[in-house]
Amino acid sequence: MRITKIAKDTFIIAWIKSYPDFRRNPLQLTLIFMVSGVPLFFMLMSSSGSNTLANGLVGAMISSVAFIGVSAGVQDISWDRYVKIREMIVAMPVHPVSYALGVALAPLLFSIPSLVFYGILLAYLGFFTATTVAWIVPALIIVWAATSSMGFMISTYLFKASWMVLNNLGTLLGIGFVFVPPVYYSEAQLGNWSWLSVVIPTSNAAGLIRSDVGLLPISMGTTILRWAVLIMTTVVFITLTFAKAKWREK
Amino acid sequence: MPLEISAVKSADLRKVYRGKEEVVALKGVSIEVGKGELFTLLGPNGAGKTTFLRIICTQLFPTAGDAEVMGYDVVSEADEVRRQIAMVPQDAATYNNFTPWDYAYYFARLRDIAPSEARQRAEMALRAVDLWDLKDRTCQTLSGGVRRRAIIASVLSSNAQVLMLDEPTSGLDAVARRGVWSALRDLVKQGKTILLTTHLMEEADIVSDRLAIINRGNVVAFGRPDEIKGLMKEKFRVIISGDFVPSSTFGEVTKLGDRNIVYVKTQDEALDVLKASLKMNLHAEVSPVTLEDAFVRLVGKVEQP
Repeated sequence: MRITKIAKDTFIIAWIKSYPDFRRNPLQLTLIFMVSGVPLFFMLMSSSGSNTLANGLVGAMISSVAFIGVSAGVQDISWDRYVKIREMIVAMPVHPVSYALGVALAPLLFSIPSLVFYGILLAYLGFFTATTVAWIVPALIIVWAATSSMGFMISTYLFKASWMVLNNLGTLLGIGFVFVPPVYYSEAQLGNWSWLSVVIPTSNAAGLIRSDVGLLPISMGTTILRWAVLIMTTVVFITLTFAKAKWREK
Repeated sequence: MPLEISAVKSADLRKVYRGKEEVVALKGVSIEVGKGELFTLLGPNGAGKTTFLRIICTQLFPTAGDAEVMGYDVVSEADEVRRQIAMVPQDAATYNNFTPWDYAYYFARLRDIAPSEARQRAEMALRAVDLWDLKDRTCQTLSGGVRRRAIIASVLSSNAQVLMLDEPTSGLDAVARRGVWSALRDLVKQGKTILLTTHLMEEADIVSDRLAIINRGNVVAFGRPDEIKGLMKEKFRVIISGDFVPSSTFGEVTKLGDRNIVYVKTQDEALDVLKASLKMNLHAEVSPVTLEDAFVRLVGKVEQP
């Protein structure tokens, strides 16, 4: 299938999955996505210091893209299976990549206001400059691609799971990718185990963004290595997804 | 007799669902649907109709056998098959915030149809299912039957050559159902091929060019509706209200509570039954045998309480 067709279908599916909801509840949806990272502020309220706040804001940015990536895959695609839209799309000339990315792109569009909001806060705290955006945006896109493809793959294995299981699984995966690894907090707190954060795309990207805004001292060599690992793990996630995802049922 | 040009063809198609219990859904189904015909798969619940359709639609892998759409293999050439087909799944629900227009227009766009043409097709599809006036209402404000028509519009707006509809009119009222039938027959007139599943006998009888009756994974009858009806040795039925005591000379009698259906071979026999029931002061009505009569005869007897 042509790349242009895959790209076009991705945007049509993202539009289908976002615009009708946005058209009906524009303010409500924007606000919900803007406050989706709010739990972190409870953590931040208990501590003080701009570095902790800035660490949390970096985490919120990652959370905004990673959480929706995983939950879009597991919950939204499962919902599509329930209403049988997915069945209709499988029987259409639409590549599974378009579907997976389109479904994950829809909530990402809603997250843009929250990402801008967190960016403004970081800039206000003096951790954010125009040049850092050039590194932060690709890091966020890579994390989104990795988590959404993983979410998609998992969803394809859960044909018979109940809606309740899928809901909780989406939340659990979100926690596993966003709250347990050093995404909201600095990996320095892991001490000798800090290397673990490199193998998880979410915490690796968080570390790279922190390094970029000056919150985490990382050498140039390590930075390059970490970017390579981030790209590689994402490629592995995506390859695994489209090699192992069950688009058609056995 | 093999058709010169077939749109859908299956040969010895088998499907076994493996799990805690092995379920054999299709036991070697061979069907050939000609281009430009409306072909119906008729069968009781659990007969294997949906499984067959899902394999043809490339959603499900067969366990064995072959199937093709417009000459493309459903397993090895799925991408090509998907360009040829459009389908409405059984019991499909709607997105609450979608409008009928969203269904008709965006699904056409996913088929690589340019925006201006997609708009024209969407309008045609919505008018065909009588939804043009409701095109901008969100589905959550529409009745179940109207939502169903919105989903059907998504198929009608496509440029697919073969349309597959899995029980598309279930849940629709009689007027809406006839609207869908009319739209389907118009599409056939335009040269589209339609593969339909239903358990509504009247639907199968009125809209089908040909049909296959499937029961427990097997095709038990195949042909035009009149040919299927012709499989019964009786040609007429007399429906009698009240406690009727049939003579042993009459044909087969099916008892449905306080109603009896007497099947007879000739008009004269039907007249005899009619006279006998009138003598008993019972209301009776004669008509030709229906597809439902043939179906019940082929698939199984009515269960008596």
